[in-house]
Amino acid sequence: MTFRQQLSDNAALQYVADSLEIMSPAGRRCLMETPWMTEVAQLNEAMDHVQTLLVRLHRPDCAPLINDLRHCFMQLHDVQGTISRLRSHTLLDEVELFELKAFCHLCMQARKLCAQLEVQPITALPDLADLFALLDPDSTGVPHFYIYDSYHPDLPSLRAHLRAAQADLERQEQSGDEAALDRALALVTQLLGQQEEVQLAVIRRLSDQLHPHADRLATALDRMGRADLLLAKAVLADRWQLARPTFSPSATRLRGLYLPHLRHHNEALHLRYQPVDLDIAPGVCLITGANMAGKTVLLKALACAQQMAQYGLYVPAAQATLLPVDEVALCIGDEQNEMNGLSSFASEIIKISTTLQACRHRRLLVLIDEPARTTNPIEGKAIVQAVIQLQNSLPSLTLITTHYSGLGTDCRRLRVRGFVEQLVDAPLTPATINRYMDYSLTPDTGDDVPREALRIAAILGCDEPLVSLATSLLPATV
Amino acid sequence: MPFVAEILKHRSLSIVGLEKNTGKTVCLNYVLRRLADMGVRCAVTSIGVDGEQVDAVYGSAKPEVRLYEGMYFTTSEQHYHRRRVVSDIVAVGPARTALGRLVTARVVCGGKALISGAASTPMMQQYMSLYDSLGCRLSIVDGALSRLSPASPTVTEAMILATGAAVSANLAQLIARTRFAYRLISLPEVDEGLRRALSPIAQGLWGVDSDGVPHDLQVASAFLLERSEADLTRFGTTLFAAGAVTDRLLRHLAAHRRVADITLVARDFTKLFASADTVGAFAQRGGQLRVLNRSSLVAICLNPTSPRGYHLHSADACRALSDALGIPVYDVKQCTPPAL
Repeated sequence: MTFRQQLSDNAALQYVADSLEIMSPAGRRCLMETPWMTEVAQLNEAMDHVQTLLVRLHRPDCAPLINDLRHCFMQLHDVQGTISRLRSHTLLDEVELFELKAFCHLCMQARKLCAQLEVQPITALPDLADLFALLDPDSTGVPHFYIYDSYHPDLPSLRAHLRAAQADLERQEQSGDEAALDRALALVTQLLGQQEEVQLAVIRRLSDQLHPHADRLATALDRMGRADLLLAKAVLADRWQLARPTFSPSATRLRGLYLPHLRHHNEALHLRYQPVDLDIAPGVCLITGANMAGKTVLLKALACAQQMAQYGLYVPAAQATLLPVDEVALCIGDEQNEMNGLSSFASEIIKISTTLQACRHRRLLVLIDEPARTTNPIEGKAIVQAVIQLQNSLPSLTLITTHYSGLGTDCRRLRVRGFVEQLVDAPLTPATINRYMDYSLTPDTGDDVPREALRIAAILGCDEPLVSLATSLLPATV
Repeated sequence: MPFVAEILKHRSLSIVGLEKNTGKTVCLNYVLRRLADMGVRCAVTSIGVDGEQVDAVYGSAKPEVRLYEGMYFTTSEQHYHRRRVVSDIVAVGPARTALGRLVTARVVCGGKALISGAASTPMMQQYMSLYDSLGCRLSIVDGALSRLSPASPTVTEAMILATGAAVSANLAQLIARTRFAYRLISLPEVDEGLRRALSPIAQGLWGVDSDGVPHDLQVASAFLLERSEADLTRFGTTLFAAGAVTDRLLRHLAAHRRVADITLVARDFTKLFASADTVGAFAQRGGQLRVLNRSSLVAICLNPTSPRGYHLHSADACRALSDALGIPVYDVKQCTPPAL
């Protein structure tokens, strides 16, 4: 699955994609076509490359070179169409030849900068000096282009005549002599026609000479895009203080995990965001906690970190060890699809069912938020118990959040610490409740879940008769 | 003709017409010829599509732009392929217009070309920067149709206004319309302090208090003016319209009890979309108009021929217009051509 395929309905990854400072269309295309990597060696190599660039970002002597390199990528136009036309042996025009010359020039500049930065072994930008020379017969060294006089022996004299004829035409335009004007115009038109024929012959020759190099140019464009993307990954890692993940065959261990777009949103509003620590291994881990305790955010943050890592990006955490998986399945419970005539329960259970089937022959990271919450609690509870029992013995990592008590199944349990009464130092409001939440996880041995729904409802300012009546209706044992 | 020397006091120039066929391109060709003779390195482009060989509305022949060796020009890809000059491409912009990307080139062997260009003001500003970086002493923007936007001081420092029989075959009407345009172009600027305070404001209608501090009057659009119960002069009688100044706004202000004290500030004359009658009524009741940035009008050129076949007497029309405006008016077709 490519990065692009993963983007739909994935706000967290979309935010990452939007935040990467990719300068060129080729770099953006490389990001979108990035494959999902599962091999540890391949993942480590991708991380090595980001780290190499990141080290350069912090070296003062590299700063001007990196600026120049980014400037190169900024100027990089998408010449994919021109290269395709060259490959199919279509005659190029002057504008397209200019594009190729400018591209060769940029690639040569970028290659030189990569060599100075000692990253050329990673970026592997090809040498296009021979193609640039072909398009620069006068050795100007600048990325400008026209059909130079030196391309054809007839051009200098033809253009000298044209210059004189144009000057004469301008004179005749002002003289008012219609016959002389017609003659002058005819001469200019004739000379322009002759020049056009010679230019066409030159263009045909250049297209023929460039045609065998179409694949080389395509490779160069792809590598320029990759280099642009790599630099953008390093810049993002630096800006967001991301962590280089290590990879483990047995468990995932995250310290200071956060969800980037939510953290940055909160920080912009001067609201608190608490990163969390999490350890999980193959099998099921059940997460419980009060409402508003950040369980859904935890699942989204884990999905985001896993996806970023397996697309070769550093991850939003202080430290990260990840177990590579074949896929991330995030069932958040917002799958209702009126267009398909499916209820929220039907959509959810179909997605869970498909995910569980996939887990029988592949290793997934399965993240299910409050499964079966939209049906009756007796059957709902049974469904959750069944999911736990089925997933517990499989190699996938499964995280399930729930409000069901007494599930009675044997699996690891973590509880979000939640609302901390002792911290409250001001009147509670929906806007301030976040300050008194402890989002960290603690091992939980009991089979019961926290019951703070009515208290949270009261804090949220819900209808007082509703909250009072609901409280009075609670069974005596609660 | 003195105005070419005047042009060279500026870094950029627009040539805009009150109507189509008022002789912008004739005027541009005249200026380019003079600049070539003086050896001035310059660049030329157009805002929007222009430079067609045949007028799209009337089917009459339109003069092409004659470019000289060493000049830079920007035109669309389609028009570039149809040029009658030899030129060295120096840049191809990534943005697309209806006629393809924009190609910037240096003329190697002079001739004529169709000039089209960036359609938006921000893009045009980027091209002005490109010409600067290419070492051009002057950048010229040929206005398209009757659009005045390139003449905004935010795009070009100086302007030439083209008028003529295409505006009206009736000399009195031609004079009245040109005088109104001239009046707007010549509106006085606000002082430096007020300009600094108002320049960063991007939209809305603002009231300036006695300390020169602007306050948003919370008028989302001119359509809501009538419904707004709050007094527009509650902060002061100097008002700033960050966007367009329309008939509706001016009529509303003209009916205000304190109109005689009101000074309405527009960003520049290209943001004034009000009719002569409305501006006149506002001024007659004592209201004053000012601009943040005034355009530098270097010349008014007149084309005595209209595409419908009307001909005004060139010398008489130039004289009458010149007398009415108090500044020289030129018919560039009647100018003695410089020696070739």
